[in-house]
Parts: sequence; structure tokens; C-alpha cells
Amino acid sequence: MKLLTANRLSDGVTIWYAAEGWVEDAAHAARLDDAAAEALQKEWTQRETEVVAPYLVPLRDNGSPVQREHVREFVRANGPTTGPTRDALARAFARQDVFED
Amino acid sequence: MYQYDAFDHAFIRDRVADFSDQVARRLSGELTEDQFKPLRLMNGLYLQLHAYMLRIAIPYGLLAPRQMRRFAHIARTYDRGFGHFTTRTNLQFHWIKLAETPQILTELAEVEMHSLQTSGNCIRNTTSDHFAAAAKDEFEDPRPWCELIRQWSSNHPEFSFLPRKFKIAITAAVKDRAAIRLHDIGLHLTPQGFDVYVGGGMGRTPALAHCIRRGLPGSRLLGYLEACLRVYNRYGRRDNSFKARIKILVNALGPDEYKRQVEAEWATMDASRIDPPSDEIERIRAFFPLPDLSDAAFDAAAHARAETADPGFARWVKNNTHPHKRDNHVSVTISLKPIGGTPGDASADQMDVMADMAETYGYNELRITHEQNVVLPHVARADLYALYRRLDAAGLGTANAGKITDIICCPGLDYCSLANARSIPLAQEISRRFEDARLSDKIGDLQIKMSGCINACGHHHVGHIGILGVDKQGVEFYQILLGGRADEKAALGVITGKGLPAEAVPGAVERVAQLYLKLRKDDNEPFIDTLERLGREAFAEALHEPA
Repeated sequence: MKLLTANRLSDGVTIWYAAEGWVEDAAHAARLDDAAAEALQKEWTQRETEVVAPYLVPLRDNGSPVQREHVREFVRANGPTTGPTRDALARAFARQDVFED
Repeated sequence: MYQYDAFDHAFIRDRVADFSDQVARRLSGELTEDQFKPLRLMNGLYLQLHAYMLRIAIPYGLLAPRQMRRFAHIARTYDRGFGHFTTRTNLQFHWIKLAETPQILTELAEVEMHSLQTSGNCIRNTTSDHFAAAAKDEFEDPRPWCELIRQWSSNHPEFSFLPRKFKIAITAAVKDRAAIRLHDIGLHLTPQGFDVYVGGGMGRTPALAHCIRRGLPGSRLLGYLEACLRVYNRYGRRDNSFKARIKILVNALGPDEYKRQVEAEWATMDASRIDPPSDEIERIRAFFPLPDLSDAAFDAAAHARAETADPGFARWVKNNTHPHKRDNHVSVTISLKPIGGTPGDASADQMDVMADMAETYGYNELRITHEQNVVLPHVARADLYALYRRLDAAGLGTANAGKITDIICCPGLDYCSLANARSIPLAQEISRRFEDARLSDKIGDLQIKMSGCINACGHHHVGHIGILGVDKQGVEFYQILLGGRADEKAALGVITGKGLPAEAVPGAVERVAQLYLKLRKDDNEPFIDTLERLGREAFAEALHEPA
């Protein structure tokens, strides 16, 4: 299973592909089977007026990104882990951090 | 400081108009991302983990209060209320919207600022001594030469698409506070002229620059730089970006052969078409007069009473002031390294306070240091206590300049898309371990420098203790380097011991510091001298938890 993620062109905000289209909250990201994920990535790579550099994040069985992508995707999904914008995204969506082990 | 003339204003306005048009065409789909990316990078706009990052050039680290206030305004209006000062003495905003970038650049241009050449394979912001024109050990003010290089290198048609980025630093004092031997070109201005060092750098392949010319007259500086860059531009490796910096070329050719080629190129050049006439150098020099420094008497007794009544002030004076050419003045370092804070960050309110302080006590001048602090170069000693109280009230009174908690640190994986590991949380934890001012002062000068990846934005190669974040099969690990230094005795640190998980690093640093306190000859032997005397092996065991 994989997630599809990108940055939004107009403001660079991290976005995730969900059942209803692109969303800002990683908690709503759709778990896609590999073939569907790759087809969607190909489709959105062509649609450059909306998103920049879409890519796939592989998932482990527990739904978290694979180890190698873990910290990067944890930070992208929840916000910086320190400083004035700590957990900015988790706070904005009034939720706990996602992609924790 | 230098003031834009009509040419400068028109140049920047035109570039903002160009980029505004490019942004509009990208948003409409007329430009693809592949077409747009090099254009945005030419304007210092990166796409990072959470948003776009805009890097704004601060030429040789020199800022006027109105420019610092404009940063505060941009932080409040277009970002999230803060900015990050970098080791290239630039400012980064990490939460920028592409669509708002043209307006931001327009507002920067109003105060004679821009983000050009803060990215891309061109000549980047020249850096210099943050105590320029103030330090007692200075031969000459390096800033006019920095400005000359800025004008020469801005949009230089021959050097806008070099094999890789190119960084120049200048110092003109006995002490090297500009890390010149870690630059593509480092210039040391002495009474005999410029000593030219070439081929230094950090990153994946660290190297110390080699001196290829001594005593170069200032009047011939630009021609010689042009010859250095021409040889690099001709033979620098464009086939492999990891081997494209000039340090690789200089080491491949050997410094003597590189010098021979530079001198041969220089001999063919028409100096009259490149080197500025003396009246142009004098015109630029006239922009950098020493301010009309106050002759107000310094009341030493009142100052001593203030230090006795307020030990925090006494410690700040001891650690954060630097001798000035005029004995009744000092240079003041405003630390952007509060205990447990993010190194190099300043809030919009703090930026406003620093601008106010520069106007009230600092003769309208601020400097950004490559150590990610801010300097007021000229402050009357009589004003120190009033200044300290204002800074301290704004969270800017940390008395740790040059000490173990004055950590250089890149943004790391909390923001940067190139990083392999986080650096800020680790810097914060180390800082908290040494919160005890008595311990920190007892340890004395000890520079920790930390990068979240091999690109070395946090200068880990030249930290007395360097820390490099790496990705070890998906887990953040940290390699420790010992023995680096960026001053006039420049040396590269060496990886020592095995990589450590984040939670083990603060303890390792603590054990090394404690061991130093045991091993030093006396209280006056700094950490780096003890380490060089005994060898880094003497400290290697301390990096690891005793079995």
C-alpha cells in the first residue's frame, strides 16, 4: 500500500491524495494499492498547475511510512518537531500526530 | 553603508518584474515546473517540506534598521512571525506562498534588498568579518571590497552559470572571523595587499583553501578574481555535480598548476576593462565612513556598580562584547541562541527590537554573523547597561557568545528537503545540558557546529565538536567530528568514534567537555588547544557511554 503526496503549487503546502481529492490533513490520506497509486501519480505528474512533484510513500502493515521515509513524512504530516511552528499541522487539524510508530 | 543609485534601483525593479511575470506564467500553466524551477531558484525561492522557502541576501551581513524592520513586517505578513538567519549571513523565511512572492520582492526592493544569487550556480553573497571597521586587530575596513565584489558579481554574464555555486569571503584583520580558508576564494587583506586562497569548502568533500598569491594590490583584485573564475569555469567538472566545486579542480590540478593557469589567464587579460579606476574604489569607500562616535565619558564606577548589582549583565559584558578601535566603545554580539531555542531564529518582535537598539545605541548599523548571531558593531560603553536591559527584556540577552551553547545549526529535517536528519532538536537538548552559566563559562570557548546532512550548511567540519546527521537505514544517526576550527589556524574535524543515536549525543558532548576540564593545563587553555595538544584520540573514548 502507498500514499500519494505532493506540494500545492500556489503556496507549497504539503498535500495528500484522499478519497475526496487532495487534502491538507495527512490523517485523511487514502491508502492506495500499488497499481492505483502509480497510475494516480502518473496522472497528477501531468497536471502541474495544481500540484508540484507528486510522489509515493510506501506503507508498512501498521499504516505508517516505511522506516526510510519515516522521519521525513512524519515531519511533513505533522509539522516541525520543534520551534514556534511545532506540530503546526497536527494542531491546525486538532488531532494527534499521525505516522507514529 | 552602500546606497543604491538609479542603476541599482532599476536593475532590481526589472528583476522583480521579470520574476512576477514568471510566477504568473507558472500559476497559469504556461511554464512547467521543470522550466520554472531554475527561474525561482535564481530568485532564492526553494520548495521545502512544508512550503516555499525564500532566502534573502544580506550583502556581507550588513543591515540598516529599516531593512531589519522590513524583515519583521514580512515575517508577520507573509510568514509565521519569525525568520532564520543562516551561516551565509542571509535570512530565510520557511512558510512562503508562491503567489505572494512577487509582492514580497517588491517590498524588499523598496528597502534596497533582494534574493538574487542566493541560490544557483553563481557567485553567492560575499561574507566578511562581522566586526569590520570596529575591531582593534583590523588592518583595513573590508566592506568596500565586499561591495566592489558584489557589484562585479551581480548578474555577471560570464559567471551566472558556473559548474557549481561559488562563495567568497574577506577578512582584513589578524584574527580570521570570516572562515576564509573554507571558501571557494578566501581573501585576507593585509597592509601588503590581498592574500588569495582558493579551493576551500565544506560539504561532501571538505578542503582547506591554498594560498596562490600574496600581496595582490586592491586595484588588481577584480581582474585576478576573474582569472580564477575563468579557469574554474573552463575546467570545473560539469559532468558530476558532486565533483563540480572549485576545490575538486584545485586538488586535481594541484595548487601550483592551478595558480600557473590563473596567472597565465591573468596575463592575457586587458586590466583596464576589468579593474576599477581608483576613483571608483574611492567612491565606494566613501559609503563606509566610521560613524561619528560619541565622546561621552565612560563612568567606570557606575558600570562596575551595575555589574555588581546585576551578575547577568556582568556575564553578558564579559562574553558578548568585543574590543573596539575606540576604547570608549565596544562591539556587541546579540545572541540568537537562547538556552533551548532554535539557533539563528528571531521573531518579528525581536527583529523590531534589534532595529530599535541599532538606532538608539548602535549608530544605525547591524551585522549578521556566519555564526547566526547579530552584531551591533559600535556601542558606547556608557550605553551598555541600558542596551542590555532592553535586549534581555526581549529574550535577546543570552550571554553565551562563543560558548558551548552558541551552537551553529542548520534547519535540518524539520524544514529542509535535503536533510537526512533533524538538527534543531539536538542543538536545543545540548544547549539545555549546559544551561548552568557557571559550567558554560568554566568550559569557555568551545564551538559546536551541526548539520543535518553532508551539505554542511551548519559547518560541522569546522566545529571544535562537529555533529553530522545521517540516515542509517531509515534512522537518524549522528557522527561526531573533533578538532575542526574555522579561524586563522583553520583545520578540518575528523570523524571520531561510531555514529550515535540522537539521545546519546548530548551525553557524549557532556563527557567530552568534562574530560577537557580535567585535562586542560590551566583555566586559560581553550578546548581546541587541549584537543590539539593531546590529540583527538584522548577524547574518543569519552564519546561513548562507559561499559
